[in-house]
Amino acid sequence: MHIVENQGGGSGWQAPTGRRTDEWSECLTLIAANEDRAAFTRLFRHFAPLIKAFALSGSSLSAAHADELVQEVMLKVWQKAAAFNPEKAAASTWVYTIARNCRTDMFRRLQKFDTPLAAEDFTPEQEGEEPFAVLQSRRSGDRIRDLMDQLPSDQAQILAKVYMEGKSHAEAAGELDLPLGTVKSRVRLAIQKLQVHMEKQ
Amino acid sequence: MAKFHPSIDLLTEYAAGNLPLAQSACVAAHLNYCESCQRTAVQLQEAGSALFGALDPVPVGDSVLDSVLARLDEDAPLSYAQAPEADQTEVGRTPAILQRLMKGDFSELVWRKVTESLRISYLKTGDPGYEFALYHIKAGGKIPDHDHRGSEMTLVLQGGFSDANGSYHEGDFIYRAANDTHAPTALQSEDCICLAVLDAPLKFTNWKYRWMNPFLQLRAG
Repeated sequence: MHIVENQGGGSGWQAPTGRRTDEWSECLTLIAANEDRAAFTRLFRHFAPLIKAFALSGSSLSAAHADELVQEVMLKVWQKAAAFNPEKAAASTWVYTIARNCRTDMFRRLQKFDTPLAAEDFTPEQEGEEPFAVLQSRRSGDRIRDLMDQLPSDQAQILAKVYMEGKSHAEAAGELDLPLGTVKSRVRLAIQKLQVHMEKQ
Repeated sequence: MAKFHPSIDLLTEYAAGNLPLAQSACVAAHLNYCESCQRTAVQLQEAGSALFGALDPVPVGDSVLDSVLARLDEDAPLSYAQAPEADQTEVGRTPAILQRLMKGDFSELVWRKVTESLRISYLKTGDPGYEFALYHIKAGGKIPDHDHRGSEMTLVLQGGFSDANGSYHEGDFIYRAANDTHAPTALQSEDCICLAVLDAPLKFTNWKYRWMNPFLQLRAG
């Protein structure tokens, strides 16, 4: 295990890249195998500040709710670590997915939705995937995360509004004072540049 | 294989977790029939993951870490252990998310008769903004001309139907904006069951059925 000292959420922080994610996969594997609390603490120090930033994006949740979300997500990470498959997804994507689901559930709870569904029910099970398909999916994930750095800032800005701030295209258009059509075409352009697989429409 | 799919805009909002609950359930149900859109959704999630990793971290107090560490020994909720696979064969290919909402198969639902060839069963999703209903149209039966006061998402679950724009089969997903008149007719060969998610009640435009409009209230929730 490398560099643990400077991950305390301060100045030494760096954006995770394809190369560094291996450290986090290793932590998840250690948790699943040995209930390793030291590995969990390392994961916490890296991801908790990101989860908190995600909770506070678009100032949608209070600071107290943001801390509550951090706890919920990290507890799920601990409980579900055995379900993580490093061949299929990067650790950061796996943690992000849990954070996204927990945030959606928290919004719905705060709005007092009486629903039998949890956000994780909305992801269909992908069973019996062939190793080749798994490998391809892993590769396209790495590629997309690399290409994201090269997006023009106006496109990256809109994607951040949609994904991090949880804004609909219409809300993003209102906030940026842009026509809805412009927002939609910027999102499409960005998705094309990321080489996301698309069905012809 | 499905031929009609959600737009990339809808899939992006779905992957970001921003779609209203009822619409999100309809898109998720389409993914059950469509590997291609499933692949798109997984890749769109990677875009979210990249943005997540690039956020400016916000410091989290040590007290939060301490309370999480103290809670680690709590038992994981038992609901993870449930395997819905036993139901799978019984109800055929009905998407898992619909099975959760239906609690049984199509024959066990309460169907309300609207016209000779149309029956509707309302499912409770908990989303106060949208009606989430299954439509059963008899083979060859027609839904009277209507338009939509709001948007409509439709997913074909069984059989198929056609309207002026095309013909739709199992797994096909159709999104219509407000004020779009159409008159779907079920295919002759078999009854059609589809899921419709609406944010405003239908409005019949044919004079024979117009009297029903005041009674067609949105049954959201």
